[in-house]
Amino acid sequence: MAEGFDIDHLAKLARLSLTAEEKVLYSSQLNQILGHFQALADADLPATIDDARVVNEAALRSDEPGPVLGAEAVTRIAPASRDGQISVPRVVDDES
Amino acid sequence: MSTPPSDWEVVIGLEVHVQLHTRAKVFASSPWGFGKEPNEQVDPVVLGLPGTLPVVNREAVEKSILFGLVVGASVPEHCSWDRKNYFYPDNPKNYQLTQKDFPVVVGGQVEIELPGASRNVMGEHKFIRIHHAHLEEDVGKLSHAGSGSLVDYNRAGVPLLEIVTEPDLRSSAEAEAFLRSLVAMLTQAGVADCDMEKGQLRCDCNVSIRRRGVEKLGTRTETKNLNSISSVRDTVIYETARQVRELEAGRSITQETRGWNAELGRGYVLRDKEDAHDYRYFPDPDIPTLKISRETVARLGKLVPENLYDRQRRYVDKLGLPYTAASVLVNARALAEWFELAVAAHPTNPSGIANLVANDLLRDLAASAGNAGPLADSAAAPVSLSSCLIKPAQLAGLVKLTDDGVISKQQAKEVFTEMFKSGQDAAAIVDAKGLRQNSDTGELEKIVQEVIADPAVAKSIAEYRAGNEKAINALKGPIMKRTQGKANPVLIDQLLRKFLA
Repeated sequence: MAEGFDIDHLAKLARLSLTAEEKVLYSSQLNQILGHFQALADADLPATIDDARVVNEAALRSDEPGPVLGAEAVTRIAPASRDGQISVPRVVDDES
Repeated sequence: MSTPPSDWEVVIGLEVHVQLHTRAKVFASSPWGFGKEPNEQVDPVVLGLPGTLPVVNREAVEKSILFGLVVGASVPEHCSWDRKNYFYPDNPKNYQLTQKDFPVVVGGQVEIELPGASRNVMGEHKFIRIHHAHLEEDVGKLSHAGSGSLVDYNRAGVPLLEIVTEPDLRSSAEAEAFLRSLVAMLTQAGVADCDMEKGQLRCDCNVSIRRRGVEKLGTRTETKNLNSISSVRDTVIYETARQVRELEAGRSITQETRGWNAELGRGYVLRDKEDAHDYRYFPDPDIPTLKISRETVARLGKLVPENLYDRQRRYVDKLGLPYTAASVLVNARALAEWFELAVAAHPTNPSGIANLVANDLLRDLAASAGNAGPLADSAAAPVSLSSCLIKPAQLAGLVKLTDDGVISKQQAKEVFTEMFKSGQDAAAIVDAKGLRQNSDTGELEKIVQEVIADPAVAKSIAEYRAGNEKAINALKGPIMKRTQGKANPVLIDQLLRKFLA
């Protein structure tokens, strides 16, 4: 079965470092999954939205502010922090 | 910066990100607001911690729908949310919840007004089509310090409505006019505050150029994250000139993402990581598709305020206001409504009221608020007006006193200043200061007769009787003097003509 994806590209997007064996294994598994979706896509179904996944507005949240974790708790679960902020390697999106 | 030669046409489309006016975040109950300590407005749902589930904030959905109704869009029966997957530290869950296939608002249009030839001349009006608007979550804020970057997730999860236009804009002036109009509509409907200083409105600006008469669109660039109207305007001017230069030099335009350096007034290529646009969208399994009832749409439809340009046309056509005053009043809804309350209290002179509101009141409010800017476009307008001591009916009372000839226009300015300070009625100030022009005919008749009898004015009287109309004015000075300026000039004129006839 021809693969409809590039396993190296997908691994890169997902920030995964895969061994040669893993690439073979996951390519095969992913192909099976995509096969199931193809079967679904091939089925002759009405083009309507699945009612089972539809909720009405009663399922919405009211605009009431609730509790927060606090900066101390937020930074505690991060690998590194400074002055109440999470510290990460420098990411540059400005002109430089 | 040079304008493009006229055979080039610029085509602009905008993506406007607006933080909606809510108390809690869009999928979480965490509160949000500007100026809090970093990471103090974060809860487990915002971070996407294990075991948490997002639930959509009703107010955010309703504000989105209200926006749709304000711009005459359709509100589909269903909308749903998707995951946009990417790894970047501003994105705590590694995906952003957004709406890709079924947005909450589809279509619509925004009326814009271009600048006229001068301040008192209305410019051309156009309609800019909206492609759609979708409700998503904002991302965290990064700041860069030395070798590292710091992340504050307070902004992550703030409700963000992304409004996407059709490529209908044709100049920097149109882009600017569109944003001004959009901001007025959003703030007047209470959808958003649009405070650009607080980052509540940010734009991505798509620009391409093509030879005039050519239908096919040129290759476009996208300049991201513009946080002021002037940055959008400057980006369009810069990017148009750059693309013209490239094409005229025989080079081609690369489809790229760009940034804007507002300090240096220039754009630059964002070093986009490759694959950055491969977001692998898929429907979010945690948030069910939402069915929006027609009852909700109808209820929200009642909250749509009068369109600002409909209001402007009404002020000019029905109330007879000069364009200059009308255009100032309609920019802030609270101001327009304040003006209308005053007109209701004194319906015969809307222009007189408009002039006082648009000039004197706005000037004094701005001065007392310690800033020179007018209230237009500002979400702070209702606040400033609510602290205003003068009530609409009191201003109407002042205009009525002037219209009835009780005080002169010059005195009205003085009374206005006093009213602004004290909040007293105009009549009370007029009485307290003894400004009331004397309209007591009996007393005035006596003074007029005494002045006429004075030999000093005999020559003027003779001239007047000989047919020199203007000579009558020489008699008014002495009368004014004897009444200490309080006599009603209209009445003096009438009495003089009566006695000299």
